[in-house]
Amino acid sequence: MTDALVLGLGALVVLIALIAIRMPIAYAMILVGGVGTMMLNGPALVLSQLKTLAYGQFSIYDLSVVPMFVLMGAIASKTGLSQALFRGANAWLGWLRGGTAMAAIAGCAGFGAVCGSSLATASTMGKVALPELKRYNYSGALATGTLAAGGVLGILIPPSVVLIIYAIIVEANIVTMFMAAFLPGLLAVVLFLLTIALYVTIKPEAGPKGGVADRKEFLEATAGMIPVLIIFGLVIGGIYFGFFNPTPAAAVGVFLVLLFGLLQRKLSGHDFIQALKETASTSGMIYLIILGAELLKIFMSRVGLPQETASWIANSGLEPMTVLILLLIALILLGCLMDSLSMILLVIPFFWPVLVEINGGIYQGAEGAGFGMSTEDLKIWFGVLALIVVELGLITPPVGMNVFVISSLDRETPMIETFKGVAPFFCAEILRVILLVCFPIITLWLPQVLR
Amino acid sequence: MSNTLKASSSGFTGAASRLITLWALLGGGVLLLVVAVNMLSIIGSVFGTPFPGDFELTEMGVAIAVFAFLPYCQLVGANVSADIFTAGASRRVIAFFTLLGSLVALVFALLLIWRMYYGMLDQKDYDYTTTILQIPHWMAFVPILISLALLALAALVTLLQDMTALSRGHH
Amino acid sequence: ADYEFKLHHFLGEKAPAHTQMLVPWAKQVEENSGGKVHIEIYPAMTLGGRPPELINQVRDGVVDLVWTVNGYTPGLFPRTEVFELPGIHTNDPAATNQALMDLYETDLKDEYKGVEVMFLHVHAGQAIHMRDTEVHSPEDLAGKKIRIPTRTGAWVIEALGASPVAMPVPELPPALQKGVIDGAFIPWEIIPPLKIQEQTEYQIEGVDKERFGTTTFQVSMNQERWNGLPEDIQKAFRDASGPEWIVKVGEIWAASDDFGIGLATKAGNTHITLTEEETEAFRQALAPVADRWVEEVSAKGIDGAALVEKARAAVASHSAN
Ligand code: NA
Ligand code: NA
Repeated sequence: MTDALVLGLGALVVLIALIAIRMPIAYAMILVGGVGTMMLNGPALVLSQLKTLAYGQFSIYDLSVVPMFVLMGAIASKTGLSQALFRGANAWLGWLRGGTAMAAIAGCAGFGAVCGSSLATASTMGKVALPELKRYNYSGALATGTLAAGGVLGILIPPSVVLIIYAIIVEANIVTMFMAAFLPGLLAVVLFLLTIALYVTIKPEAGPKGGVADRKEFLEATAGMIPVLIIFGLVIGGIYFGFFNPTPAAAVGVFLVLLFGLLQRKLSGHDFIQALKETASTSGMIYLIILGAELLKIFMSRVGLPQETASWIANSGLEPMTVLILLLIALILLGCLMDSLSMILLVIPFFWPVLVEINGGIYQGAEGAGFGMSTEDLKIWFGVLALIVVELGLITPPVGMNVFVISSLDRETPMIETFKGVAPFFCAEILRVILLVCFPIITLWLPQVLR
Repeated sequence: MSNTLKASSSGFTGAASRLITLWALLGGGVLLLVVAVNMLSIIGSVFGTPFPGDFELTEMGVAIAVFAFLPYCQLVGANVSADIFTAGASRRVIAFFTLLGSLVALVFALLLIWRMYYGMLDQKDYDYTTTILQIPHWMAFVPILISLALLALAALVTLLQDMTALSRGHH
Repeated sequence: ADYEFKLHHFLGEKAPAHTQMLVPWAKQVEENSGGKVHIEIYPAMTLGGRPPELINQVRDGVVDLVWTVNGYTPGLFPRTEVFELPGIHTNDPAATNQALMDLYETDLKDEYKGVEVMFLHVHAGQAIHMRDTEVHSPEDLAGKKIRIPTRTGAWVIEALGASPVAMPVPELPPALQKGVIDGAFIPWEIIPPLKIQEQTEYQIEGVDKERFGTTTFQVSMNQERWNGLPEDIQKAFRDASGPEWIVKVGEIWAASDDFGIGLATKAGNTHITLTEEETEAFRQALAPVADRWVEEVSAKGIDGAALVEKARAAVASHSAN
């Protein structure tokens, strides 16, 4: 092993130590990447690169959809769109045992269709659905667990910030990735609904039947969901069917939710300022992590660690599937330490070359490929799998951000109850990963059809 | 003595916070302009007059907006960190750790001001412009440098807060 | 090796520019030096930053060598831009490469501040790719939305009465497929990596492979690094980048262009070669582009008209016929 590789591995240890002592992850990356490169090639090089690096990273065209989708989600959460969604879903599902929880899942899915982030979905739908679930005497565990898990749909259903970042790293087409994530996202909704059904079969007292809506309420509530369908149809449908590229589509999305909020007269000036502030803190956080990851990438490329890791694993003689499963498990474990975006930015530059190598190279077709599919398809399939497992960290102990968010909305339910309530959904997610691993067609079908 | 210091620092903190928040909102305004440019471009292309500059205005506008968000992000502590390993630590220790974070932010902001100032001079000297509209890139660096100065200010504010927490220890 | 170099560029490691041009060039330098030189090539921006930053990176010594597109930093190489204009480069990249190097010595050298140019080159030239429009005259392009590569490319499209649309290359396939744009001005060599044959029906070029402008590239070294090298090492680089190599680079790019159009015709696309008369109509329509450029650069104190003449003459002197 060369000195440079030792330095690279040492830097990874320091990075983890810094993160463990609460250094913001972005700054930990900046520090390790910057200082590491200075130690390797001298300070002048880093200082020169810093003249334009940040401006270059922040002005990447493909990334411009991120702050716009964040803004769209932030405005959407103030417009009463979430209430309308939940009310509509509850009109359809509320009469079932556990139906109000199911409506919360459906509401999360609907909101996820206009919002690119998991936490925003969890907190927005949580505020709307938690009081209702309480009103129908749902158990704290089921109520909070449902919402913490449902929040994950914010990122699993396009648009999705993490998926955009993944697409940029591996040079995949964002549109294709959005198409690929759609059916697996629906599968998540179905499995979550089944989970609730099973839960209330075993524990009927946890999820009583809600009031059956009368015909008038049913029709009104159903009509209330139409704006979301229109917005999703125009924005994501517009992207799928190629009417516009993701960035203009996101602009249309911002415009539409703004218009909806103004028409509903629900969006006050204060709400709007609040939405801008949320956009500022979320987007600033994301871009700072992107900059940190770029500095770290520069350092790691210079020491040659990703290249070494790729050839080492490729020569280890492990079966392709074994490697894939090990990588997915590693991502789940890393979820204890890092947020999903940092993980994707830090780990994919290491993992992706490995998979390409095993599959037979960047231009490998389906025939004779390690995974039995072309590298282009592997890119799509692995992206969706990685997206799911990095998001699992949001609902698993010790750090489950969605669980924290929902817990802060419901002081009565101890956090341990929420983690218990989330456990069945976690199992559903694992089942989903297994299904997607065994049947790649679920992920790859829609991009093939729409292409 | 210590009381007057505290009072002035809290006045300073308050003014800094308002300034930083206002700057972030201006950044939000720039983002809304980018949205408007993209909407105009869509409308234009529907009516057969596409606007080829939308692409570079988006790039430049988003960069300016995001830099304007960074100080606010530091101020409100939006930068994600993992707190599980130190969950059991005393408040003093935690205050010390967060102080380290603020210190790194401060140093980084100052470093970037220095480097990106030279970056701006480079853009000027070598006449870097966007492709279609030929907007000089150095113009974007002006608001960005202000953002970085405010990032340093924000880091200073959080640093002072951490120091107060550290000196009180039990609070 | 005694002398280590990092060569940074923006394309993937499977791109012909990497495998057929940069790798053989680096090997030749290493060989010329008797093993004293080692050049490590970093593709796909692995050493950080965005493609437009490559030129700063080499100037500031972040990396030792870069291969980059001059048009990424418009305004930086105003004189070299003359070679992008329609009517300068016609159909032979090898000839244009040699003309570029001739003018480099006499006129262009000063704009490459802070770098030592190893060699300059062009691609085979912009051709027209259309979704579903058969093009035989500039009128056929009227009102069409066409993707542009550079600012001079935008002028070309405007001169033809079409609307220029700027978009990153990876967005091209879906935009073509769904009709967000009607066509694109790019060389044939981009057909295979982006599968352009699946989104277009017509590939159009002028008589005898005549194209409508091109793009200029450079391989350059950090100036201080170069100045600090002993003569024998400098010679190793120079010998690998001489006139023969420049011609070879032209052949490499022409060959990957031929491969691209071959792929498209095999997929059933129509390859239209305009007749002499039809090509002449395009030449007439595009004549104002050079004038526009001359006027534009005169603001920078450049005698554009003289450069256009020199460039044209130099290309002609190197052309086979
Ligand atoms: Na979403
Ligand atoms: Na977790």
